[in-house]
Amino acid sequence: MNEANEKTSKPADPLEPLRAMRDAYLDAMAKTMVEAVNSEAYAQATGAMLEGYLSASAPLREAVDKSMLQALQQLSLPSRQEVAALAERFTNVEMRLDDIDAKLDAIQLRFHPDGPASKSEPAPRASAAAAPGKNTGTRATASANRSRGGRRFVRRGVGPPQR
Amino acid sequence: MASYVASPNPFADLGRRLLAFNRVLTTKAPIAQTPKELIWALNKAKLYRYTPVLAARDRHRIPLLLIFAIMNRPSILDLRPGHSFVEYMLGQGYDLYLLDWGVPGFEDRHMKLDDYALEYLPRAIRKVKTAAECEEFSMLGWCIGAILTTIYAAMRPDEGLRNLLLLTAPLDFSNRNGITFARWTDEKYFDVDTILDAFGNMPGEMIDYGAKALKPVENYITNYCKLWDNLDDPQVVEAWHAMNTWVTDNVPMAGGAYRQLIVELYRHNRLMKNELVVRGKRVDLRRIRANLLTVIAEGDHITPPCQSEAILAKAGSRDKELYRIPGGHIGIMAGSAAPRTTWPHIDAWLSARSR
Repeated sequence: MNEANEKTSKPADPLEPLRAMRDAYLDAMAKTMVEAVNSEAYAQATGAMLEGYLSASAPLREAVDKSMLQALQQLSLPSRQEVAALAERFTNVEMRLDDIDAKLDAIQLRFHPDGPASKSEPAPRASAAAAPGKNTGTRATASANRSRGGRRFVRRGVGPPQR
Repeated sequence: MASYVASPNPFADLGRRLLAFNRVLTTKAPIAQTPKELIWALNKAKLYRYTPVLAARDRHRIPLLLIFAIMNRPSILDLRPGHSFVEYMLGQGYDLYLLDWGVPGFEDRHMKLDDYALEYLPRAIRKVKTAAECEEFSMLGWCIGAILTTIYAAMRPDEGLRNLLLLTAPLDFSNRNGITFARWTDEKYFDVDTILDAFGNMPGEMIDYGAKALKPVENYITNYCKLWDNLDDPQVVEAWHAMNTWVTDNVPMAGGAYRQLIVELYRHNRLMKNELVVRGKRVDLRRIRANLLTVIAEGDHITPPCQSEAILAKAGSRDKELYRIPGGHIGIMAGSAAPRTTWPHIDAWLSARSR
């Protein structure tokens, strides 16, 4: 009875039949398209289109690369390849530093076996949202945010909130 | 009989709706809002530790590291306040870490799966173990992240990985007829080297097009119709806006890793055959010893269920579980049903193994 009342009291939208027709049409079209894209013919066609685009644009890309390289040389600026090579070397240096960091951690652990060198325990958030079916206590422990032997290469506090 | 009350000013109503529609499509929703701290960085990769919400004595002992795909932002794991896997798991008492692979530049075009799984991941894990003061850890890999975590688990079985969770993991490529991407990237039609010679990395827009083209009508038409129909429902609009913000934030895929994915996995299925070689060594899935949970989305069109099933038989783990759930590739973790279905199951499985 209540349901019937709800149904009658709800204003009917004259566009509803059109919407239902649209949805039925889209459903049918979706099924057809899924079959179409899952075919060999589609794979062949997209492959050919991509190859065509890449082949057609290759001469232009080469010309742009060449003229850009010349312009950069004239201006005594490094090329893209040179900057990329530099970035790769920089990453290698970062890795070596990380290796050293790991070794220092191991050494420090040997002398202070009670706790790791770059130990850092963030304090729980006081205003955290309650989680269903679990202890929701958000006791912020002041002593939790300790940082023994702050280390280089561990960037702290750069973050929140991200984005 | 039902009566319809027409809007007193239909043009004003239409204008208002168009403005709302335009706002959602052209602005970015605030996503990935859960507080976190950067604790390690290498090249573009960044390791974050989420600020816990429970005191240390109420938390699980074993930390959990989240690994997402290399060609999407990991913000999908922390989509929006009130609807975030990260927020949920923090509430359940996990010490949570996220490895964000970042956006590869031209200089990273040679990076391979080898580098991700055996160079970056072990270093990040070392930092997790140090920060958590725990020699053991759990790892959750989603999509390509699951490939990386699987490779790591097989290559480094003695480095403390206790629990391995694989979500919609594209690991088995043997059923070529069941995988649309495998058809598209067949060597008869798709020249991966020409693309990478032209672009260096695989452009994010092309990856996005590929994912959307699997269901073109849903992704290019129906999706927008749903938004238009629900413009008066703030909850639907907010969810749509957040998801659209994530979907449109495309990340290129490092050229070397993309070539491996297509040639070694999609075409030759080397990982599942125990033939994949990384850093000169064969990846033998039988060496995986961590407790294993594989989550399969039954309606997944990007990673069909057939790609994630075989790992259970191949992995050497004694404690293995397969969990099937209705939903799509992203929907099982970020959809409206996820807080009632996928997340509690992951928590129940993991909490029993995190003591």
